Amino acid sequence: MAYLTLTDISKQFGETFAVQDFNLDVEKGEFVSFLGPSGCGKTTTLRMVAGFELPTGGQITINGADITNKAPNQRNVGMVFQAYALFPNMSVSQNIGFGLRIRKEPESAIKERVEEMIRLIHLEKHIDKYPYQLSGGQQQRVSLARALANRPQVLLLDEPLSALDAKIRVSLRSEIRAIQKTLGITAIFVTHDQEEALSISDRIVVMNEGRIEQVGTPFQIYNFPETQFVANFVGSLNTATAEIADPEQGLLHMDGVQLSTAEKLIGLQKGDKVRIAIRPERFSFASEQKKANVVDCTVENITFLGSVVRIHLLIGNTKFHMDTFNYPSLELPKIGDKTQVTCSLRAVMILGQA
Amino acid sequence: MKKNLIWSWFWIILSLLYFFVPLILTFVFSLQTLKDQFSFISYQRVFEDRGFIRSLIFSTEIGIVTIFLSLALMIPTVYWVRLKAPRIRPVIEFISLLPFVIPAIVLVFGLIRVFSGGLLPLTNTHLGTNFLLVAAYVVIGFPYLYRSIDAGMGAIDVVTLTEAAQSLGANWFTIMFRVIIPNLRAAIFSATFLTLAIVMGEFTVATFLVGLKSFGPYLWQVNQNRAYEGSALVIVSFLITWAFMGLIVLVGRGAGASDAAGPR
Repeated sequence: MAYLTLTDISKQFGETFAVQDFNLDVEKGEFVSFLGPSGCGKTTTLRMVAGFELPTGGQITINGADITNKAPNQRNVGMVFQAYALFPNMSVSQNIGFGLRIRKEPESAIKERVEEMIRLIHLEKHIDKYPYQLSGGQQQRVSLARALANRPQVLLLDEPLSALDAKIRVSLRSEIRAIQKTLGITAIFVTHDQEEALSISDRIVVMNEGRIEQVGTPFQIYNFPETQFVANFVGSLNTATAEIADPEQGLLHMDGVQLSTAEKLIGLQKGDKVRIAIRPERFSFASEQKKANVVDCTVENITFLGSVVRIHLLIGNTKFHMDTFNYPSLELPKIGDKTQVTCSLRAVMILGQA
Repeated sequence: MKKNLIWSWFWIILSLLYFFVPLILTFVFSLQTLKDQFSFISYQRVFEDRGFIRSLIFSTEIGIVTIFLSLALMIPTVYWVRLKAPRIRPVIEFISLLPFVIPAIVLVFGLIRVFSGGLLPLTNTHLGTNFLLVAAYVVIGFPYLYRSIDAGMGAIDVVTLTEAAQSLGANWFTIMFRVIIPNLRAAIFSATFLTLAIVMGEFTVATFLVGLKSFGPYLWQVNQNRAYEGSALVIVSFLITWAFMGLIVLVGRGAGASDAAGPR
């Protein structure tokens, strides 16, 4: 049995379902991210695990024990908030030791644990400071240490990096992941930032309108999206409508351009219209050796994005993007040039019937 | 730019004169008990009058009880509204303004009428009357106390702090006394001193319920009968109020730093 289970969880506010038919098993020590746009129900689900919201239906268990209706202070679940939520009247050490004092642990044990946590977050020099004397990143690390000091069964992180600037966000997310791995703690991380979710998660739960769209590893979510929503939400994507030319051969026609897929198009017939998707980085300029999925196109625009150059193409009547790494010897076409691009058979994804 | 500056100074100086001239003249007058010389005799007489000390102590005691009762009612109420029923905040705000709309004379006659007989004849005893006085002051101080506590809670994001404390295992009592109240220190002190200042100077309710026992009516009576001592007493009561205000500023400064919660 999984360590943390959410079975048929639903949450209704008036007539509206914030979360519906939510089923998830999380293994001990796993780092799972809830990813989705605002209002998709990810934070509500996290808050139900924390006990701040009670589910309208379903069951939540941790390590086999039903916690569905337990009060938040009876769950031993650690929580890190977006706004840090450090107690302003307490120093760093008092904040970290707060939960241990609630449990009436001996003062020596509290001191030892606080020092251990302080070392873990590398804030030894700031132990006696108050929250207002710390930067945002430091405050969030203290918040993390405070949540971990109680040795919680599950660590919940509610968009903990959203209030931080870009550089600190990247370094702190690595730090969070490293600490989670070191302690082997089960963690649920809520974010709307796909890069964040892809970079630190064991598994990602993509949510939309209160429901799970797909659960999978970052690799699966990015490369094999199961729904159009996942395909659109995670990463950049070119989408277009194509007509099945030969389902057995996996052949498609799009604006007079022929494309091939890697596998047979099972369940589809010649003439059926489908939505196809190709990631921008799966395109490259066609070499002479390439035979499959070589298409004529016109370069409409070129945008520099730092490490990547985005080339805007017109294939038939459909606009596509192509991403290529930026390096000094890169030879780029000119705007208005007619050229050929290609992609592998596996790059052409079928999202469903149009 | 220069013209604006001149006008700014003009209004500042006019305001200062408006405020300080009567006060300075009252002070000067209070020093003129003896003919052709300045002396502090009127102040000496004020402090030697047993009525002054007695009424000051009585009003301070009533003020302290009022403050404790008001805080005991207000902090949990405002906290609960912010936490569980934020939608009814406009209703509470409206109610908090009612003491401004209902004159004190209406309030005190209402209290006397209801509590001078029937099931709760509170006006029959000193204790009962004092309790009525406290109850009236709780109502009169409600707008100031509510606003101060509500602003204090708004500054610390009580919802998130409560949830953080809950996730660390804290119960309601611990959350209230170790997280919420310590972070409302500045708001509580400012509400406390405002309430005390109101109680010390209140005249209408005190006159009808306890008469000269209270500081407000005593001040009025001295002003009526003894002009120099009356002026001295006005200056003394001003100093007491300013001392309270000074304390608010001091405590506010001290607590201001630790009240800075949230993202930076």
